[in-house]
Amino acid sequence: MARTPLEKIRNIGITAHIDAGKTTTTERILYYTGKSHRIGEVHEGNTTTDYMEQERERGITITSAAVTAEWKNHRINVIDTPGHIDFNIEVNRSLRVLDGAVFIIEGVAGVQPQSETNWRLADRYNVPRIIFINKLDRTGADFYRAAATLTEKLGINWLALQLPIGIEDTLKGVVDLVTMKALIWEGDELGANYHEAEIPDDLKEKAAEYRQTLLDTALSVDDAAMEEYFDKGDVSVETLKRCIKRGTIDGTFRPVFCGSAFKNKGVQPLLDGVVDYLPAPTDVAGIKVALEEGQEEDPANPARIIPAREDAPFAALAFKIINDKYGNLTFVRVYAGVIRSGDTFMNTTKGHKERIGRMFQMHADKREEVKEIYAGDIVAIVGLKDTGTGDTLADASDPVVLERMAFPVPVIDISVEPKTKDGVEKMTLGLQKLAGEDPSLRLKTDQETGQTILSGMGELHLEIIIDRLRREYGVDANIGAPQVAYRETITKSHTEIYTHKKQSGGSGQFAEVKITFEPKERNEGIEFVNAVVGGSVPKEYIPAVEKGIKVQADTGVLAGFPTVDFKYTLTDGKYHDVDSSALAFEIAAKACFREGMKKAGPVILEPIMDVEVTTPQDHVGDVVGDLNRRRGIIQSQDMAGTSVIVRAHVPLKEMFGYISNLRGMTKGRASFSMQFHHYDPVPRNVADEIMAKSA
Amino acid sequence: MRLRWQRGRIEDPEPGADEASRALEWIGCDDAGDPIARVVRIRGPVLFRWRLRHAVALDDEARVVELRPAVPEGRWLVVVRDRVVGRTRLPLDGVRRAEALLGRGGEASSRS
Repeated sequence: MARTPLEKIRNIGITAHIDAGKTTTTERILYYTGKSHRIGEVHEGNTTTDYMEQERERGITITSAAVTAEWKNHRINVIDTPGHIDFNIEVNRSLRVLDGAVFIIEGVAGVQPQSETNWRLADRYNVPRIIFINKLDRTGADFYRAAATLTEKLGINWLALQLPIGIEDTLKGVVDLVTMKALIWEGDELGANYHEAEIPDDLKEKAAEYRQTLLDTALSVDDAAMEEYFDKGDVSVETLKRCIKRGTIDGTFRPVFCGSAFKNKGVQPLLDGVVDYLPAPTDVAGIKVALEEGQEEDPANPARIIPAREDAPFAALAFKIINDKYGNLTFVRVYAGVIRSGDTFMNTTKGHKERIGRMFQMHADKREEVKEIYAGDIVAIVGLKDTGTGDTLADASDPVVLERMAFPVPVIDISVEPKTKDGVEKMTLGLQKLAGEDPSLRLKTDQETGQTILSGMGELHLEIIIDRLRREYGVDANIGAPQVAYRETITKSHTEIYTHKKQSGGSGQFAEVKITFEPKERNEGIEFVNAVVGGSVPKEYIPAVEKGIKVQADTGVLAGFPTVDFKYTLTDGKYHDVDSSALAFEIAAKACFREGMKKAGPVILEPIMDVEVTTPQDHVGDVVGDLNRRRGIIQSQDMAGTSVIVRAHVPLKEMFGYISNLRGMTKGRASFSMQFHHYDPVPRNVADEIMAKSA
Repeated sequence: MRLRWQRGRIEDPEPGADEASRALEWIGCDDAGDPIARVVRIRGPVLFRWRLRHAVALDDEARVVELRPAVPEGRWLVVVRDRVVGRTRLPLDGVRRAEALLGRGGEASSRS
């Protein structure tokens, strides 16, 4: 593999709402960069990045495929991410390791809910972005309206670098506001070329207006460029590009490109934009070293940053694991140093050594073996024994742990059991491997029924997992109806004293604990405070109290769901010199929890989803009425061309099977998407129903 | 009326910063080189003379002046011949506004 200098590497993601055209755009990128000799189409099920059977059958992206491409002497590592919210984890972990992203916005609907979610995720990781307003060939497309939703919904300062020439079926090309030239595509067939031309007369005035905004905004990030403008009355293309790159990296503004990937218009200038405006690994600050457990970020003493340097000790982050027919493939982003096949490094997250086996540059499902890999690049490693998503690999001379990844909480459960007895072992193995690949998938055994419970991000997510279990591990499984992942919490404070006493001759058990339970805000988790003074509970028994509560909190007092968001303070207790033990204190703490929680106003929480339905106007009444019947609270109704976008908060429980209902109601003309929004207490009647079921 | 614009005062360099300090003001001079207009960056909140000021700018003698009502940090104040004539989001926009006002014989005191 030819060595690419760091400044000529771009690690980018392509992300958007479902069906905004991410995979179609990625396919064009691969075609134009020469990695693929034909263009795959999502609707024909032959795209390069959607290589899993399920992806090709369903026409959606499930996993983030990593592909390497070359454009104008630069290496672009592209990660095409899924749009469906059920696979949000893929977007999350990809954004974590990328230096830049292309956000694709649909030219008809503008910013959609998943675009918003992904945008916020990119904000969290400070990922520089450029925007591509796609599908301008579609009926109802409107560049200016779609761009306006960037302000309305994302509240960002966007900056047009292009304007469309024509729209819908008359889309011919774009005005490049940097060079003030028209780019006209010669037809819309596969791999169409374009030529430069004068800006059409009817667009000259508009182009001049947008060019002025471009200059005003871009030059404001660079005083030397301002001076060049004052001296000459304009700036060179190089100066303007330098300013755009600077503003893109520091987030002052977000450049906007446009076109239609499907009609092969606008992709080559977008690739130029990736090279010109998105950062090389050396253009960004580097990656933060993780804080110690419980340590808070201190502005006076900021976390150490590892800059992208080849001559530094090796540091890399594992961001994805897949199991395929060749074994375990671990995708890593190298932040510093160099690795070679056969080298040994530390997994500093888990504290053990790992040996690097073979390494591959990935082209979706195809691979090219490489012997060494340098800072800034992305590679897949075969043969790592115990490295999970989010783990750091580092040189033993500088065993840093890089900033960890945050994973979403699963909101839906299903029970799963093999159809045949001999499938038990295969199913357990298969599910463990799938859970190892996917941190948003959790596996547990129901203590009462002995059933295996799979928890995931949505019906589609779990459906795909069961399908993969069948195809990849040969296990046919029976699955239960999807169950909502309820939680329990408390609404008021209560102090409980519990004495565990078993002293009937011989060595007995004795422990007494006094614990105050208090509610916390949503998502604040569980907090333990040890406020024991004077040794009324000896130090060595405190961890047992903590363990007892932690274990018991997994089974709430109302219906057995995990209890979340509360604080418990151990204030006092008693012990016996002979009969007290860690086990006695653990038992006392568990019982104290069971008794105390009942008196602390326990409630059941349910996941509330942010639902967006796009429907033709004549079905709005039906859609809104139906959402109301599902305990939904309508948030907004907005016109988008000839459609109406209805947004509502609806409990997940009421959304099972919604798609078939919606199709029936609107004759298949409406579509919807939903994502987790927050947890809310369930109404009394629903709580009674849930408790009756669990009794 | 076209002015000759040049960088005025710059912000204090941050210790250890790699990048050059940014301009705090742009000064527009006439053909004789006399300053006619200024486009001044608004900063804030800043602690100045033991009080937190939400928005401040430098006057032509580099004295810190508190602005009321407060304006978001990073906006620019357009000053023509000692009179504040507007506030803009971007410095170049401020430059054009100053020149436009002067072109109209501008002693106007309109605000954006």
